[in-house]
Amino acid sequence: MDKMIICRCEEVTLGDIKDTAEQYDATAREIKLRTRAGMGYCGGRTCRPAVDKVLEDITGEKPGDQIPLKVQPPVRPVTLATLGGRTNDT
Amino acid sequence: MHDVIIIGAGPAGLSAAIKCREWDLNVVVIDEFPQPGGRLLGQLHQEPNGEWWNGIKETDALLQQATDLNTDIRCGVSAHHIEKTNNGYIIHTNEGILESQKLLIATGAAESAAPVPGWTLPGVMSIGAAQVMTNVHRVRVGQKGIIVGVNVLSAAIARELQLAGIDLHSMMLPIKSSVTAEHAHPKKVMDGLVRIAHLAPSAFLRFGSTFAKMNWIRHLAVQFYPRGGVKMWGMPIHVRKAVKEIHGTEHVEAVTVCRVTPDGEEIQGTEERVDVDFVCIAGGLYPLTELAAVAGCPFQYVESLGGHVPVHNDRMETPLDGLYVAGNITGIESAKVARAQGEVAGLSIAKSVMDAVELIEHGIDNAIANVLETRKAASIQFHPDIHEGRAKVAEAFVEHTQTQ
Repeated sequence: MDKMIICRCEEVTLGDIKDTAEQYDATAREIKLRTRAGMGYCGGRTCRPAVDKVLEDITGEKPGDQIPLKVQPPVRPVTLATLGGRTNDT
Repeated sequence: MHDVIIIGAGPAGLSAAIKCREWDLNVVVIDEFPQPGGRLLGQLHQEPNGEWWNGIKETDALLQQATDLNTDIRCGVSAHHIEKTNNGYIIHTNEGILESQKLLIATGAAESAAPVPGWTLPGVMSIGAAQVMTNVHRVRVGQKGIIVGVNVLSAAIARELQLAGIDLHSMMLPIKSSVTAEHAHPKKVMDGLVRIAHLAPSAFLRFGSTFAKMNWIRHLAVQFYPRGGVKMWGMPIHVRKAVKEIHGTEHVEAVTVCRVTPDGEEIQGTEERVDVDFVCIAGGLYPLTELAAVAGCPFQYVESLGGHVPVHNDRMETPLDGLYVAGNITGIESAKVARAQGEVAGLSIAKSVMDAVELIEHGIDNAIANVLETRKAASIQFHPDIHEGRAKVAEAFVEHTQTQ
């Protein structure tokens, strides 16, 4: 079970998250920064609820009104050209 | 500078756009999917009264109204950031920057994964992906599949796959782990099923009523759940069996299933291999709030609404000036509720752009009443948690606006 991938973009397993939590006695945010879970291409859209659940299970942190792992722009994959203000770039 | 930008061309976004256009506002609707309709496009089910709900027809009806009003709908446009300015919003998209005075975020919901080992193999998909492939793209997802996750959404979509001639082995739970939580707990799944059976098509209603509403009967039902499952539309539904692992080298080839206790623990020595070539995972829906979050909107965690929802009032206003929300981003409910909320949002926006018009105010009251009626009609057997959840968000809105 520990080999099961939770964050597909960054290939972070359930074991990686558990071990990091135990080794560093880490908060949800710290686990995200150390393992990169939820920080990949999809911006956490696929694994966010799963990561939240694992963290809740391990750290006992219940969800509050703040979104647990802060959402950062861009929330969709975009090209550098788009970020630089150029559109219809082929 | 547009009067209003609407993000999301689903039932909420389209109905809001129609209301805004009826008051002649300058509206642009954007949606990242190549065609409008949102999740409405995939929906096809029989209502408890026997009538069919066909999402494509419902979309066409909304689009017809929007087109008659010359609504600017841009598909394939994806917003990745929102900035609030002193007099409106800047929306960053893959097609450049859009600016508007008012902004409606109607981005709907996303699916939660309920991962089981092997879930990253090709041929494993979310139940919603199977729905879109089947009903929107008309692509056969596989020859024979199994559904992991027993809930109202997976039951409804399983039926749609069956109607499309796709062979389903059964529907069962994911194996228990720290990620699958309540989806792997037979008693909780059964409680959930019975509570939401009224939202589902008629065969599901019969399934729900089989297990009555009394707690002790549900516990007995889980305790003595038939080993062959309970059949719905000829397909066995298991709450005492779970998918333990998905196998395959290049692609899904089989799953290992096992029996579980009423608390979801594996019963040793009950493993069994089932040959399938696709697996649908159904972990439920959560409000898709990323854009509201980057815009700076405050949130409230409400479990009965599906997780974190932007704080808003019954006029669909958020505490941020000029920012509105409608549809599943405000809580997981039916498309009909989303459509009714969209009308409220559209009228609220129209009123605020047009500077207090009496007629609109009257329309808003009616539209709000319509949301409540639609919600009530969907809850034939009354779902207490949805109403409490909505009340909690309304209170949060009052608190936020008072502290500002």
